[in-house]
Amino acid sequence: MGVPISIKSLSFSYGNSKEPAIKDINGEISEGELVVIMGHGGAGKSTLCYAMNGIVPRFYKGNYKGNISIGGKNATGFSIKEMAGAVGLVFQDFEAQLFSTNVELEMAFGLENLCLPRDEISGRIDKYIDFLGLGGKRLSDTSTLSGGQKQRLAIGSVIAMEPSVVVMDEPTSDLDPLGRVDILSLAGLLRDRKRTIIMVDYDPDTAIGADQLWLMKDSEIIGQGRPEKYLSDEKLLLSCGVMPPQTLSLFNRMGWEGKPLTVEAAIDLIEKNNLVKRHSLMRDAKNHTGNNNFFIKVRGVCFRYPGVDSDVLKDINFGVKRGEFIAILGQNGSGKTTIAKHLNRLLRPTSGEVIIDGKPTTRYKHNELARLVGYVFQNPDHQIFASTVQEEVGFGLKILGEDPKTIKRNVEEALAVTGLEGYEHRSPFVLTKGERQRVAVASVLAVRPEVIILDEPTTGLDYQHQKESLEMLKDLNKKGHTIIIITHSMWIAERYAHRCIVMKDGKILDDGVTRQVFADENRLSEASLVPSPIVRLSNWLGTDAMTVEDLAEELKLQ
Amino acid sequence: MNLSLYQDKGTWLHNLDPRTKLIGVAIVFIICLCFNSPIYMAIIAFSVFAIALSARAQKALWTLRYILLLLIVFSVILWPFFTTGKTLIWSWGFLRLTKESLFYGIAMGMRLSTFVIAGLILLSTTKNEDITNGLIKMGMPYPLAFAFSTALRLVPTFVGAGATIVQAQVSRGLDLESKNILSRFGKFIPLAVPMFITAIRYTNRLSMALESRGFSPESQRTLYYEPVMKIKDWLILSFMLILLIICLYMRIFLNLGVVMPGRL
Repeated sequence: MGVPISIKSLSFSYGNSKEPAIKDINGEISEGELVVIMGHGGAGKSTLCYAMNGIVPRFYKGNYKGNISIGGKNATGFSIKEMAGAVGLVFQDFEAQLFSTNVELEMAFGLENLCLPRDEISGRIDKYIDFLGLGGKRLSDTSTLSGGQKQRLAIGSVIAMEPSVVVMDEPTSDLDPLGRVDILSLAGLLRDRKRTIIMVDYDPDTAIGADQLWLMKDSEIIGQGRPEKYLSDEKLLLSCGVMPPQTLSLFNRMGWEGKPLTVEAAIDLIEKNNLVKRHSLMRDAKNHTGNNNFFIKVRGVCFRYPGVDSDVLKDINFGVKRGEFIAILGQNGSGKTTIAKHLNRLLRPTSGEVIIDGKPTTRYKHNELARLVGYVFQNPDHQIFASTVQEEVGFGLKILGEDPKTIKRNVEEALAVTGLEGYEHRSPFVLTKGERQRVAVASVLAVRPEVIILDEPTTGLDYQHQKESLEMLKDLNKKGHTIIIITHSMWIAERYAHRCIVMKDGKILDDGVTRQVFADENRLSEASLVPSPIVRLSNWLGTDAMTVEDLAEELKLQ
Repeated sequence: MNLSLYQDKGTWLHNLDPRTKLIGVAIVFIICLCFNSPIYMAIIAFSVFAIALSARAQKALWTLRYILLLLIVFSVILWPFFTTGKTLIWSWGFLRLTKESLFYGIAMGMRLSTFVIAGLILLSTTKNEDITNGLIKMGMPYPLAFAFSTALRLVPTFVGAGATIVQAQVSRGLDLESKNILSRFGKFIPLAVPMFITAIRYTNRLSMALESRGFSPESQRTLYYEPVMKIKDWLILSFMLILLIICLYMRIFLNLGVVMPGRL
């Protein structure tokens, strides 16, 4: 059963920082409600979650004012054990939340801490394991689970303690689209059981059926109430770094009546008001245009890790032309990162070969390859080490033996392109995630490789920052760099990539011009992918456009 | 890729009480220290190796093959130069190689590998939680036991992160294949700093996750997998103890299995 939560003029600043992380937060949540919190990066969403669970101010010390009452009791008055039974907290990073050897031990961990007798623990696991969809996995090693299953288990290990309130801080940001659906359906089930749920998310879709939407900006709540009211306010959402529902943006641009938040609602309105005629889209049969002058050729590549019996990659063939912008799509574990790492020889094929500019990668010298293909890793913390941004960005050039003048020039240029001018002498460690991400891109850029590969460059960034990074890549692409991104974000692939490679189970499922790949919704669903609302609408209408702007233009011309 | 050493196989060793295995490993360690003759050490090493095979720990052994090889090679090469025996085989300047010291080196190589293999048997047949529970049942304070098993648990996580960090820096042009030791040292910083940062961020998140599930190190908790000593545990322990006594008697009173007297 849920309990009501009441927050009264809550403010908090971390440690000795003068800047508050959250400022004057107020809110009333009735029992059994679903509250969705959205906002830009650094708006204070996580801090608010931590405050509900007491991690702020118990774990993170700082200046705490105001109060949160949970079921009538002050949040700071709970002991660790009482709090675990009252408010469960699920984090974005599921890897750090799972630390047990198998599924049942993971679920038992919290219950052991509550000192429940052994048979009761076992009873609780029985009670929740099917609910989590992990029934057949009770004794499985947690590392063998998929991303969605891992996050389900993380949630399950919290709800097994039967807290009245479940707080989830971006539980789907690290997941592929299928994992995301997995988690949202689990949240729905929890809601049916009358738990109070507070969820931070980036997609307005999640908020549509919620009881309340809280919009955060610069440490404050600037909108609080029924979701419909705020979701139709495009400007407000954008100012909070949230992507407005695409169908709504389209209707606004076209000057059509109605405020559809979903594709289904949009289609209903279009049919009812006879707004526009449907066409059948003529599809070009041939996928690749003209020449076969490939800069990179991947030929029959198979790959397996040593000591493992099954192939991670099975007979991969494709080519990359100079100047292309390619998106590699697919579920977690489908082999996207593995194939990308073959392109700069971080991994060597078990059989087959990768040819760059007419020469197999195995015959390149190390520093030659670094100049041809740059690779930006998903987590910038895996590479940042220097004490200043300038030093960090110049590192690649320095070890490749460039002279100080060239280093200085290239670093300046890379910082300019990534919008990091003025950051030269700052320490990269104190920057925000988005800024660190850009430092990582700049440090690859400074070497000026012909091809730049980026592994999920937008994870953990809000809409505004995602857009900025992608616009930057688009500019680089225009200047002649070949760009390859691995992404879970459909709108990014639709809007920016010329070509998409869809992977499934270590094989290429589809490879072609983006518009055509996204026209075949059935095939995409085989890889558990769903186009974004605007492309689904465009498919239904039979139009060519893949963005709100283009679709509006195309429809106006008709 | 799964880097954890535990292999979920269900052999006879998997089904033993963790306390039996912990004490058993300690006894094997002491037995190893009883002898420094290559023949005696070979018998012990091969017995332990056979147990490892029966526990189906091959995969874990394979993962650590380079470490095992290094231990043996370095012992055989280095020990002879730090110990002196009577029968001279070869000398060059102040360097002297004697038969006894060579044998001693071989025995030491086998001893160190046996330590590693015995430890591996424990880790590949015992769940992390069982090790913690075993240690608690033997009287170790909970915070200490938990810290110990968490450290073990984090090794594969950090090995994985380390591999990613190496790849990230290599793809920026860092050349780890060059031979120069001095320049290698300079390459240490770009790897070590991200490693520390990643480790600190990770443990920070981990401790938040632990606390959110009501964990506090001082307080009591239930052990869901309660270790239970069965008859076979007592039998095995008694057998190991008798073996230990025999070995100690052989060394101390009969002076058997010694090529280098006065040394362990």
